[in-house]
Amino acid sequence: MEIFHNLAFGFEHALTINNLMFCAVGCVVGTLVGLLPGLGPLATISLLLPLTFSIPTQGALIMLAGIYYGAQYGDSVSAITMKIPHASSIVACIDGYQMTLKGKTGLALFTAGVSSFIGGTVAILVLAALAPALGEVALKFGPADYTALMLFGFVCVSFVTTGSLLDGLAMCMVGVLIGQIGTDINSGMQRYTLGMPQLVDGVGLVSVALGCFGIAEVTKNLDNREERTPFSGKIKLMPTWPEFKRIIPSALRGSAVGSFLGILPGGGPVIAQFAAYAIDRKMSKYKDEIGHGAIEGVAGQAAADEAAARTSFIPLMSIGIPENAVMALMMGAFIIKGIQPGPNMIAQHPDLFWGLVASMWVGNCFLLILNVPMVRYLLSVFKIPYAVLFPSILFFCCVGTYSVNNSLEDIYITASFGVMGYMFLRLALDPAPLMLGFILGPMLEENFRRSLLLSRGSFTIFVTRPISGTLLALIAAFVIWQVWVFVRQGRNGKVAASPA
Amino acid sequence: MNDRNLLKGLFLMGIALAFGLGALKYPVGHLERAGPGFFPLLVSSILFLLGLGMVVRARFRERKPMEFHVKNLGIIIGSLVGFAVLSRYVNMSVGIAFLVFVSALAGTRYSWTRNLILTAALIGIAVLFERGLGLQLHLY
Repeated sequence: MEIFHNLAFGFEHALTINNLMFCAVGCVVGTLVGLLPGLGPLATISLLLPLTFSIPTQGALIMLAGIYYGAQYGDSVSAITMKIPHASSIVACIDGYQMTLKGKTGLALFTAGVSSFIGGTVAILVLAALAPALGEVALKFGPADYTALMLFGFVCVSFVTTGSLLDGLAMCMVGVLIGQIGTDINSGMQRYTLGMPQLVDGVGLVSVALGCFGIAEVTKNLDNREERTPFSGKIKLMPTWPEFKRIIPSALRGSAVGSFLGILPGGGPVIAQFAAYAIDRKMSKYKDEIGHGAIEGVAGQAAADEAAARTSFIPLMSIGIPENAVMALMMGAFIIKGIQPGPNMIAQHPDLFWGLVASMWVGNCFLLILNVPMVRYLLSVFKIPYAVLFPSILFFCCVGTYSVNNSLEDIYITASFGVMGYMFLRLALDPAPLMLGFILGPMLEENFRRSLLLSRGSFTIFVTRPISGTLLALIAAFVIWQVWVFVRQGRNGKVAASPA
Repeated sequence: MNDRNLLKGLFLMGIALAFGLGALKYPVGHLERAGPGFFPLLVSSILFLLGLGMVVRARFRERKPMEFHVKNLGIIIGSLVGFAVLSRYVNMSVGIAFLVFVSALAGTRYSWTRNLILTAALIGIAVLFERGLGLQLHLY
């Protein structure tokens, strides 16, 4: 029972006073910021990332993970109570908000909390069992395989997050190009630095993230502001026994679906929620009620959400390739702390890896113990008027950018990315794939150039190796399918509605 | 001309051109030993084609005007730049005050008292950061 031995080892690290505190702070702050209107997990993590710089590595990773699933949970709370989704909990808006309209907010929140706990627990077992095994497979990957895997990730993420392959891929490429700014590691040549000394080491992760997700979002929200009435209903948390019994099967189904979909490239919480919800509508005993505020409609998707949020760490930590934008941001944060996620991380830093895995379960408990009973107090963040909120967010963006290098000039870079991010949002281009491209860009170039070096300039290396060949075939099939769909729509005279 | 789908493609093609023309300044090398200009040239060519694809696609889609509020964007960016400049040449407390009072222009219902209180609160948070997290903020 090696898993349990390893998990016990992890708990030794996760249960120190300091790490417990970092975990708790991460969960609570993540939930609070995640609740704020217009701030999804990407914005929340980028805002809070600078806070972790002065913390020791293990504590920082634990806190970051806590911020992430805290933000994910906070998001679903705002979806249930006020129908404010930030892309990451759209599904919770359906039945969750219906339950609120029926005055069953407390029950919905309790269901979401308990299901998240179940989903998280299942996912951690999957993570503990699968990540080391997958890490051993990853050691067999050559540079061509890594190149193909990253391209495959781009295609999957583009399609899943933006719904349009063209838009998403373009944003990935923009990210890759931004990642080119700085010194070329092979030749030592400076590229696109415009003679600015701050750019020699490349554009900072924090500047890109805060510009595209912090400042751009704030500015866009100012354009079309909507006054929202804060939630003021009563919350009765404890369910009756029959209600409680309805949560379990749905949550278990959701956990399985979420754990699985969380591992796939392009996967993650959003797609897992939709899948779990669809399965509940087919399989649940109460399927007729779903859509009108059924417990199952909340339980399944909440469990899938949390499960996928955790299993999406598997590709990052075992192969070293983030599978979605949030994980790309996490990877950037790991690298800032001097840890390169990948097959060697588990072997070289077992304390970090198992400590982080164990802390996820600890964080699960914190979310359940702290946040579920405290949810009515957490909701008071909605009473903060936006006029107070947005200057504060800007202030945190400035301080966050500054604190990376103690450089005020970095704020100009963040502001430029704010302008660019705003343009993208106004053009209906989702900046999330940009993040993935930006983080993976340097790795992609490195592996691409190394493959060509190995093959003496022949592109056949990408096709003849079984792993990369398969992945490229999948990409080709996907692109052909997309083109076919587009052409067929054009022929039928149906104009495809572009995603808003 | 004001069509979001079309502008999207043009904007991305512009980015591709900027990076692609820049890449030509660096040695491209050959396939066996790619130079520093090779990869950016390849990626910007792909981006250019994707942008072109969007321009073509826009012809088949309904036009959607692009919303763009220069005023709000200008106010927000101005407040950030002002913060950086004032923090450098005066101190960060003045920078925070500037940030709050200027950025609030983008919101509804401008209130001097609220901005004063918010400025004080944010300076308080900055002090906490300086003492608690060891950031060097040069507040005064």
